[in-house]
Amino acid sequence: MTTVATKPVRRPTGRRTGVSKPSGWWGLAFIAPATIGLIALYAWPFVSTLLKSFQDVPAFGPATFVGLDNYTTLIGDGDFWKAFRNSALYTVIILLGIPLAVVLASLIEQVGRGRAIYRVLFFLPVVTLPVAIGMVWRFIYNGDFGLLNYVLSWFGIDGQFWVADPRFTIYAFGVVGIWMGLGINLIILGAGLQAIPKALYEASSLDGAGRVRQFFHITVPLLSPSIFFVTILSVISALQMFDLLFIMLRGVNNTALTDSKTIVYLFYEKAFVQFDQGYGAAIAIVLLMVIMIATALQFRLQRSWVFYG
Amino acid sequence: MAESTVRRTSRARRGGRTGSTWPIHVLLVIAVVFMVVPFVWQLLTVFKTTAEVTRIPPTILPADFSLHSFETFFSTVPFWSMFAVSAGSLVLRVAGQIVVAALAGYAFARIPFRGSKVLFGLFIVMLMVPSQLFLIGQFQLIRDLKLLDTLPALAIPGLFSAFGTFLMRQAFLTMPGDYEEAARLDGANTFQVFWHVMLPMARPMLAALAVLTGLYSWNDLLWPLIVSPSGENRPLPVGLAGLQGQFGTDYPTLMAGALVCSIPLVIVFLALQRQFFAGIASSGLKG
Amino acid sequence: MKRKWIAATAVAVTAGLLTACSGGSGDTPKNEKVTLTYANWSEDQSPAMKQIAAEFEKANPNITIKVQTLPWPEYWSTLQVGAAGGTAPDAFWMLADHFREYAKGGQLLDLTDTITSNKIDMNVYPKPVSDSYTYEGKVFALPKDFDTNGLWYNKALFDAAGVKYPDDTWTWQDVQEAAKKLTDPKKGVWGIAAPIDAQGGFYNTILQAGGNIINPDGSASDFASPAGIAGLKFWTDLQAAGESPTLKQLSDTEAVSMFENQKVAMYTSGAYWALRFYKNPDLKDKVDVAPLPQGVKRATVTSGIGNAGYAGSKHPEELKKFLAFLGGTKAAEIQAATGTVLPAYQGTQKPWLDSMPEFHLQVFIDAIDYSVPLPVAGNASEWQGLAPQFLTPAWDGKKPVEQAAKEYQDAVDQVLAKK
Repeated sequence: MTTVATKPVRRPTGRRTGVSKPSGWWGLAFIAPATIGLIALYAWPFVSTLLKSFQDVPAFGPATFVGLDNYTTLIGDGDFWKAFRNSALYTVIILLGIPLAVVLASLIEQVGRGRAIYRVLFFLPVVTLPVAIGMVWRFIYNGDFGLLNYVLSWFGIDGQFWVADPRFTIYAFGVVGIWMGLGINLIILGAGLQAIPKALYEASSLDGAGRVRQFFHITVPLLSPSIFFVTILSVISALQMFDLLFIMLRGVNNTALTDSKTIVYLFYEKAFVQFDQGYGAAIAIVLLMVIMIATALQFRLQRSWVFYG
Repeated sequence: MAESTVRRTSRARRGGRTGSTWPIHVLLVIAVVFMVVPFVWQLLTVFKTTAEVTRIPPTILPADFSLHSFETFFSTVPFWSMFAVSAGSLVLRVAGQIVVAALAGYAFARIPFRGSKVLFGLFIVMLMVPSQLFLIGQFQLIRDLKLLDTLPALAIPGLFSAFGTFLMRQAFLTMPGDYEEAARLDGANTFQVFWHVMLPMARPMLAALAVLTGLYSWNDLLWPLIVSPSGENRPLPVGLAGLQGQFGTDYPTLMAGALVCSIPLVIVFLALQRQFFAGIASSGLKG
Repeated sequence: MKRKWIAATAVAVTAGLLTACSGGSGDTPKNEKVTLTYANWSEDQSPAMKQIAAEFEKANPNITIKVQTLPWPEYWSTLQVGAAGGTAPDAFWMLADHFREYAKGGQLLDLTDTITSNKIDMNVYPKPVSDSYTYEGKVFALPKDFDTNGLWYNKALFDAAGVKYPDDTWTWQDVQEAAKKLTDPKKGVWGIAAPIDAQGGFYNTILQAGGNIINPDGSASDFASPAGIAGLKFWTDLQAAGESPTLKQLSDTEAVSMFENQKVAMYTSGAYWALRFYKNPDLKDKVDVAPLPQGVKRATVTSGIGNAGYAGSKHPEELKKFLAFLGGTKAAEIQAATGTVLPAYQGTQKPWLDSMPEFHLQVFIDAIDYSVPLPVAGNASEWQGLAPQFLTPAWDGKKPVEQAAKEYQDAVDQVLAKK
């Protein structure tokens, strides 16, 4: 640490004015609290999880090194692949919420009076306790006396057991996920929209372009950096989905749970319910790799669609 | 400062667009209906009896208005003591994280030092790791610090947030350097520049960060359970989760609990929403 | 690296403790204040636990007991993290299916000496329950309560359908016939709840059909035997006939809630619901209980909660005193008198019966005679978790019971073979 720090101090600093730039010492001092916390509470636990993934860790008692055993078990584990499919499906559904958010954000942006009210209303789910959200939606989705089936019955549509039937569970969660995340996406996209020069809209209006045309030719391309950012965040959080499942399906007799576990849920179950922390750790590490690959992939793909003006 | 800028642009744009806005309002109101229906349903359910909510087909409005659900909730969950714990840990966590993240974010954005890029990269990687993965290591640290069952235990891991640091870095990156240099010419040292000049300019983002951190703190369920083995100092989500175990499908009571536990934060958010939205809008999160 | 701390803490703590205990030097001076924590997972029972704690404090003014209630879904993960980290509650409720992992891992306080020194007679507890807390000849928990199963039924629904109430003569066939008559789709009423429920459901019927759940040496399960299949079929037939809410309905609304909401007329489950039903003004006058119907023979699984102590407790002597108290008559009487639960201590059950005279609770006590302990071989929490996965297709009628049972058996046997 010290050796790293001393060097920048001696480096000649300051630009045109001759005022000295802050020295690296200051930088280190400012960063110290965050870094110490990061190392003690995040990096170290992470490393220890990584180590555990190569061990057989019983609930109590000494662990033994087992090399890649946990990982080879995982590759042959049908439950893991099922969880992987569920997480992937959930992520895809969440991504479908992004075009919706783009449209809504641009609509809100065009509203003058009342914009604050819309923003607050869309943001309400974000400030509500997830436990509370889980309870409310579980009730709405109830196959017998839930609100959703009742409303569907007005249109002559047969109700389903949205969270108790594994065919629908992930989709049902996807809807809640979109609903919960819309508020955050809207403010990020809203910030991006405000950076688009309004002169562009005025010019195109003069050329006779309508709202729809403007949306596709001005809004979407110029907003693409924000859309990209929202996409990255959404994928990361969707792949980590746990809370909803934990709250909505953990009833004593929920038979849909078997087929609806996500990767993080499987990790939780192995590590904290079945006393198998080594295997749980391997699941978590694989998930991290999946997230990193997905993020890297998006950065690669962005070249073809994100427009940096 | 930033708020007025936001309002000015919006007013200007209103003038700049052609056509009326009522079709837009119609579309937005439809969307809003979908957003608020769950809350309205929750509110209606609170006043029903258990027998009524399991009736098929359901009733929309409460048939006989009952406050039974609130009675059950308040007689089961020690609301005020849990509320105090929730609020206390929220204040600790928000205050702590703002300081830690602002300092680090400022350094990453405006102070060049060796290893800065690598370190920042590490912060970003930690963003991608599922939080459950840290649980055991964090628990051990809290235990070794002899902080189990205390209020700080609830707040400490949340003081250090890669996301907060990232957000504050974005805020400081977008600020003009002129003020900074002027202050330095006046002989201010780096901390003084940070504290007296730059931090006040970052107020909107601080508000945004405070709201987001407050949210995470208020909502946390698993961590408080693990660090309060003796059952002391447990916050509201724990009480709410316990309620679910106990009242299985007594939906009015569950909904009442969900409502009562959520409302404090909603109120805080409503009070801070102007600064919050301005903060997000003014800096940073534009991708 | 991480593995070391678990090992180290566990070993150090147990070793330190053992020397402390055997030397008898761990005694704290009489006047020193000591606080013990006592964890449970039931808000329903919490008041009684507090009452017991208060009673204990009266006799032991230097010891304070803090009763804490954890939500059930988080109970075991919290306990596990706490035990591995050296911070578990001093005393806590234990279940037979989790017991082995804790006992094997050296996490539980050995009570064998305490039993001798306090002259506790283990015969006062139902043998299946006390046996389930014995590991390698040592006792690690004293039975707190026990439960057997009975047939809960809703008299109002029976009256409405004109069906005679269940009694001790009922066989499987009687239940099936009654379920048929009681089911009324128009009113949204079903004869019985048939969830995939091991303890309150198919374990009992497999035993009643003359089968085993796990074979006596704990090496393999017995689900695909003729008796096993018959025991499973009892439930799948009810499902197939539409006389129970479907599994999906029972996932959305648990069986016990269906019963409480008066949507099902019969529900087989334990004595532990008695207080909840009794306290529910809608149910109190409508509900009663009968013995489980007979198959080839009479049978019910039984299990009970045990009060265990944490090996890492800082106050082992006080803790032992408290655990002995929890296993004694006074604690049992409080549980009984408050109607909380059926106490394990022999002869203290009368007040429990008297606390809810409208219910024929004696059936749960009579059932001890034909009860079989809940099987807990191997990593029980792992193999018990397999039931929904393998049995759902049979319950839904998508797979023949024989096939599902065979697959279920294979999966369970695989887990049993691991350790």
